Amino acid sequence: MAIDFGALGPEIALAVTALVVLAADLSLRGPAKQLVNPVAAAGTVVAIALTLRLWGDERSTFGGTFVIDSLALTFKLLFLGTLLAVLGISWRFFAEGRYFQGEYYFLIVTAFLGMVLMPSARDLLTLFVALETVSIPAFVMVGLRKRDLYSSEASLKFFLIGVLSVAIMLLGMSLVYGFTGTTSLTGIAEAIAATQTPGSETPLLLAAVLLIVVGFGFKVSAVPFHFWAPDTYAGAPMPVTAMLAVASKAAGFVGLTLVAFAAFAPLAGAWAPVLGVVALATMTVGNLGALQQRDVVRLLAYSSVAQAGYILLPFGVARGGTDALSLAVNQTAFRAVLLYLVAYAVMNIGAFAVVIGVARRSGLRATADYAGLGARSPLLGGAMTVFLLSLGGAPLTVGLWAKFAIVEALTVDVTAFGLVLAAGLVVNSVIAFFYYLRLIRGIWMEAPAEGAPVPQPGFNLSLVVVGLAALTVVLGVLPALVTDTTSVVTLALGR
Amino acid sequence: MTLGGQYGTVAVMVVFGAVLYAIIMLLNRLMRPSVPSPLKLSTYECGVDAVGSGWSQMNIRYYVFAFLFVIFDVEAIFLFPWAVIFGDLTSSTTPSALYALVAMFLFIATLLEGLAYAWRKGVLRWE
Repeated sequence: MAIDFGALGPEIALAVTALVVLAADLSLRGPAKQLVNPVAAAGTVVAIALTLRLWGDERSTFGGTFVIDSLALTFKLLFLGTLLAVLGISWRFFAEGRYFQGEYYFLIVTAFLGMVLMPSARDLLTLFVALETVSIPAFVMVGLRKRDLYSSEASLKFFLIGVLSVAIMLLGMSLVYGFTGTTSLTGIAEAIAATQTPGSETPLLLAAVLLIVVGFGFKVSAVPFHFWAPDTYAGAPMPVTAMLAVASKAAGFVGLTLVAFAAFAPLAGAWAPVLGVVALATMTVGNLGALQQRDVVRLLAYSSVAQAGYILLPFGVARGGTDALSLAVNQTAFRAVLLYLVAYAVMNIGAFAVVIGVARRSGLRATADYAGLGARSPLLGGAMTVFLLSLGGAPLTVGLWAKFAIVEALTVDVTAFGLVLAAGLVVNSVIAFFYYLRLIRGIWMEAPAEGAPVPQPGFNLSLVVVGLAALTVVLGVLPALVTDTTSVVTLALGR
Repeated sequence: MTLGGQYGTVAVMVVFGAVLYAIIMLLNRLMRPSVPSPLKLSTYECGVDAVGSGWSQMNIRYYVFAFLFVIFDVEAIFLFPWAVIFGDLTSSTTPSALYALVAMFLFIATLLEGLAYAWRKGVLRWE
């Protein structure tokens, strides 16, 4: 069996980068250690180039467990772009703090290696290995501030919840293997379609599917599995928080999308309503929690729980049938998830970048510290305004089109449940605007506290902030730049 | 097989297991000499005298060595099947012998870098 090494190009580039970064960390001393950041960034650029070289290809290797298609490549580009942005906001943060720089860059490249592998996986085992490659470095990265009790607590909580979710997911996967006799996603879908009659499926199979869904629910911090998220986000080093809130969560959604739409599509009648209700609960609890927060990182943590709820909404209307309407519903739902993940990555990493910029050298992270930020630093204040408006879904930002795509997906075929979900989205958007706008009002309309320092974000971070803010607005005016790509991404998962 | 038949099998297994246990223990009692001593009541630790209680703290440094041991144990598991097949490979087979050799050495080199990392960070020093 020949291995298609060309198809593995981005993964190989990242793996080599991780090893080079580790070797560089061993040979560099003192301030020179921060040079591992540009090394990691260079490796990422190579991986992006290799991904672009594959653009338009349809390949598969390792017996069909690893495929290259439009879906895989789109997500790979999203993850690699995210890695570049995270590296940009990490440089000053890790060079100036007393952190383990070499280890951090090795771990973050390894975690993104798992993410890049994820959208190509078409097999439960490959999917599982990819998910663990994302999770295990993340457990360590959260605890990088070794002597800080909050960081240790965050790491321990994240680790315990992560291991629990993996155990639940593995139990579900082994049961599914017992029922279908295969670990291939398309094989599972065929076996289920062949052996189960819609409406009277084997209860244990439905339970197994729900176990896997619950496992992913932990990963994407959906209610009621979200308890770890705010504490972990608040205790972790901030660039790691940005990585967890965006990339790790997006990877969880990719995995959920693959198992839900590829393997368990015939059983959508069972899991779709569950995920719909979970989505409603997630966005409501996330938004109500965010209303109470006085710490910007915790506010963004609850906000990202709410955002996970929005992204889960299209799963609620998925259908099990194979008629044209059902396929159209699933296709639109899937594209809405994809578009929202792209928008979410742009705006949420931007928001975390501003938080890191404000906290640099001063450590300020309370919402009250953002009073008068617009006067002290128009760049950070203006960018934060753009990101928060986009997270809320205001016009002229990419957030609007992301929400629009979700409403579109919910109403392809008008059903009562779809309308309830859409109403939930509208109500929650209003609640979310309250705390986003409260922060924006503080930035522009309140006087800064006596002796409040002027933030010095540094060059790299400013570059990332300006770039992401520009992208938020440009995509808000010209959404076709993304949707032209996402709309050709099909769920042609071997059916 | 009917439900009764299935449970019947289980019941036979349970009875058989209990009888076998009873016979073995009975034979044991009939054949062994009986020499009770307080030493026989102490915990068996591979023939070494038991020291302290079971709640004593282990040195955390054992953890790192256990960790390294597991890594190289797994490496050995991959090496054995590779070594068995490697003898049959030549330059004309697929995969070729050279390919298999390079692939395995890449794998070993990756692990060796981990060992070099542990070494440079002073993990292997015991003082």
